[in-house]
Amino acid sequence: MTDLPTSSDVVVVGGGVIGMFIAFSLAEAGMKPLLLEARAFGGAVTGGSLAAIGTHMHGREEFDILAYARGRWRAFSDASQDRIEYNACGKMGFILNDAELAAGKSLVAQEKSQGARSELLTPEQARLHEPLLKGPILAATFDPDTATVNPFLAVRALMKAARKAGAQLRENTPVARVLSDAGLVTGVQTASGHCISAPHVVLACGPWTAKLAANFDINLSIVPRQAQCLASIRQPLGTLHKVISSCEAEGGVDSGYTQIQQCPSGQILFNTVTAPIPTPEGAEDRVGEVPPGFVADSVETLLKLFPALKSLPILRSWVRFEGVTPDARFLAGPLPTAGLFVCAGDNGSGFCRAPLLAQFIADGITGAGTLPDAMRRDTERLYNPFRFSEGHTA
Amino acid sequence: MTAEHLCCDVAVVGAGPAGLAASLAAAEANAVVICIDQFPRAGGQYHMQPNASGTPFANTPQVQQGQQAIQACEAANVRFLTGAELFWAEPPKTPDAPFRLHLARDDQAIVIEAKTVVAATGAMERPMPFPGWTLPGVIGAGAGQRLLKTSGATCALPFEGKTVLAGSGPFLLAVASTFAKAGQGIDHFVERQPAALWTKAKAMLRHPSRLPDAIALLRDLSRTGARRHMGAIVTRAMGNGKVEAVEISPVGANGQPDLQQSFVVDGVGALCIGYGFQPVIDLTTALGAAHSYDLSLGGWYCGVDAMSGATSVSGLYAAGEVTGLGGANPARISGQLAGLHAAATCVKETSGLNDTAIQAIVTQLNKHRAFAATLAQLYPMPESFPVPLAEDDVVCRCEDVTLADINAAIAEGARENLAVKMWTRAGMGLCQGRNCGASIAATLREAGVEPEHTGYNRSHFPLRPVSARIAKEALTCEFSPD
Ligand SMILES: Cc1cc2nc3c(=O)[nH]c(=O)nc-3n(C[C@H](O)[C@H](O)[C@H](O)COP(=O)(O)OP(=O)(O)OC[C@H]3O[C@@H](n4cnc5c(N)ncnc54)[C@H](O)[C@@H]3O)c2cc1C
Ligand SMILES: Cc1cc2nc3c(=O)[nH]c(=O)nc-3n(C[C@H](O)[C@H](O)[C@H](O)COP(=O)(O)OP(=O)(O)OC[C@H]3O[C@@H](n4cnc5c(N)ncnc54)[C@H](O)[C@@H]3O)c2cc1C
Repeated sequence: MTDLPTSSDVVVVGGGVIGMFIAFSLAEAGMKPLLLEARAFGGAVTGGSLAAIGTHMHGREEFDILAYARGRWRAFSDASQDRIEYNACGKMGFILNDAELAAGKSLVAQEKSQGARSELLTPEQARLHEPLLKGPILAATFDPDTATVNPFLAVRALMKAARKAGAQLRENTPVARVLSDAGLVTGVQTASGHCISAPHVVLACGPWTAKLAANFDINLSIVPRQAQCLASIRQPLGTLHKVISSCEAEGGVDSGYTQIQQCPSGQILFNTVTAPIPTPEGAEDRVGEVPPGFVADSVETLLKLFPALKSLPILRSWVRFEGVTPDARFLAGPLPTAGLFVCAGDNGSGFCRAPLLAQFIADGITGAGTLPDAMRRDTERLYNPFRFSEGHTA
Repeated sequence: MTAEHLCCDVAVVGAGPAGLAASLAAAEANAVVICIDQFPRAGGQYHMQPNASGTPFANTPQVQQGQQAIQACEAANVRFLTGAELFWAEPPKTPDAPFRLHLARDDQAIVIEAKTVVAATGAMERPMPFPGWTLPGVIGAGAGQRLLKTSGATCALPFEGKTVLAGSGPFLLAVASTFAKAGQGIDHFVERQPAALWTKAKAMLRHPSRLPDAIALLRDLSRTGARRHMGAIVTRAMGNGKVEAVEISPVGANGQPDLQQSFVVDGVGALCIGYGFQPVIDLTTALGAAHSYDLSLGGWYCGVDAMSGATSVSGLYAAGEVTGLGGANPARISGQLAGLHAAATCVKETSGLNDTAIQAIVTQLNKHRAFAATLAQLYPMPESFPVPLAEDDVVCRCEDVTLADINAAIAEGARENLAVKMWTRAGMGLCQGRNCGASIAATLREAGVEPEHTGYNRSHFPLRPVSARIAKEALTCEFSPD
């Protein structure tokens, strides 16, 4: 890339939904960020996402944060002239056994106390929302306020808004190293050797973020986890209505999960993971294939819940990688090298948090106080990049 | 229901000239061979077997050679699985493990464990959009040929009105020849390349053995009664709900159609149009083999070792058009080469793999490849749209994506196939980019991105749409260890 500038206010490394939202928030705050993406904008896990946004999930401590983020997505959808296919369709958690029933009841009770409109549905009530859900469910949790967006159009609209506000965005420009001097960030060097000086650098490189930080002897607790999905041929709209997910009992995502939804194109997207799938050697540079067992599990769950979809033609699959942390929460905030920030460790739900985290990082760099104080403090505490380090006290 | 499971030494995917030759060579070298094809009959495009007796095609050399090849395979114990669609292939899990091929046939799942695989998946038409190209009645030249050959006793295209055959290349003549044999008339024959008889004659003189074929093809074209328009292209198809009229324009010295001098043919019922073919690379890309780009070979093709047909994936061989367009002769010879080597890697008492024999085959192959290269030079495939498109012309017909949609995505920073796909859905429809890939590359090319950098639509599970139930049955099929 010959048209790269030699200096910038702030360099954002990574052009997924997180990096792009950060670039947008920084530009909105009056800075002139430069975002560098190794390959295609939004082409990594962001482009393989089902992009449901809401509060109805694990990590109840994050409820206010998730609610705030969802509000920002809605506002962004309203403000952007681009349609990002924001669809407040609601989310249903299917319950197949007593353990899940207990978990579902406690989730609904807790969310209600936090102000959510969620409820527990009988199978009959669930079928009023989702007529094809004929499977043997005991009950279902329901949150009417969960929304979905089109992940591709969301990135594209963010790019447009960020550029309009003064950001520069470059694809096919991998960053090889972050540069520093005497404990201060001084810029980045691209894989082709080009140096860009900048007083601030944000690492938003998704599952591979720990690599760039390792140059500084900073040990970030982020490892890649394989995620995958199947998509059908278009079905008539209204075949499914809600985001359908498993109701997490003990063990969180690692004990398995299911997500099924119909997107505005009409395609039905579905995935069931029963046990973590190990990240293959060299995964970063190779294009992966879905494991056969994953296809079998996903089909089995789909047909158990929706027997009418027996002949559903599968059209496509994809494999991507998410960044996982020990407690399933992001690492977001400043690192010990002054001027260096991290925002990664999405744990498979980065869309839900992107606007809040972007605001938090932008505030950290500009010094503005856009977020309410209490929320800023919660964010600092919940996503502290060093919360796992020895000697750290909450 | 559970999946049927089969084992073999060599699984050959595709039963055209390359696949049949590979199957025979491998079986004669003592390998247990299964040959798979999605069509109800073996033969592929070139040797396509008629589906009714007594049609004028039955006596053509293509059909008879095909019949002989099929019979030779059967005599050598090749097992044919026709009407079977390969929807997934898994590479060996360990160096000694077999490939696993997953098929759907008659609503039943079949899983084949094969020690080696020969991909002989052939080529497909490379559709190039032009104004009106999505009207019913506008079909590929190859599709027109297939319709005729499989029309049973009627032996006619199922369209009322005049027939126009248009595009470029020797294949158009082959289609015209099929029309002549069927007694199906052609009203207008439109070839993009100018007559330039001298250049063609000079080129043909370098391959004198092919002259009789060429003369026969031209004679067949005359028999169709077609009016010929050389150095001209179809610039528009028009009609209400179906094609009714076709606009033809001469190609100017700058290579662009001269719309001022266009004329319209009315009363058209069928426009068969083809600018060339592209290798079918879904199996080889899904298995991770290395591919390269060369327009004269049809665009993206699977690279192979010239002496063996081996791809970059151990145990996977490729032959025929998937390794670059060349026609039936190189396909047959490269099939033989790949079949011999595939068998040699898994059969102990093999015959035929001696250096002189292999060298003789490779020499033959190179000779035929050289002829194919000559033809490709005479009839270069258009890398850009042959007719400038209007902004509201559809480029991806599965998802109804227009040129304007794609140009907007490019203007906002899409620089490759994947980015255009994500932002416009071009390539996310039923064909998964097989049909619109070349058009997207052509659009990106106008924006300064060369096709080598655009990338191809790499296939992923499933290679072809497959019902949820069959996918599950195939992928959970357990093999008892033997
Ligand atoms: C609602 C919905 C429906 C979809 N339907 C389809 C569909 O029908 N067909 C379809 O093809 N896709 C579909 N997808 C898109 C799918 O998620 C993938 O984005 C797409 O398949 C990737 O293209 P590819 O297969 O050509 O890339 P791949 O073959 O997956 O190759 C790209 C490789 O590069 C890696 N990579 C890493 N970082 C980047 C980066 N920044 N940019 C690019 N690549 C990167 C990827 O991880 C991957 O390994 C759908 C997605 C959604 C959300
Ligand atoms: C099937 C599936 C379903 C999902 N469903 C949901 C859902 O419903 N809700 C939800 O919230 N989330 C969901 N997710 C997760 C969500 O997609 C991710 O959490 C989110 O996209 C993470 O965004 P990111 O920007 O951190 O990561 P990425 O998209 O991975 O972006 C990181 C970028 O950094 C680039 N990069 C890496 N290294 C460098 C370097 N050295 N230099 C320059 N660039 C670099 C990469 O190329 C990449 O583009 C789902 C994911 C999948 C796969």
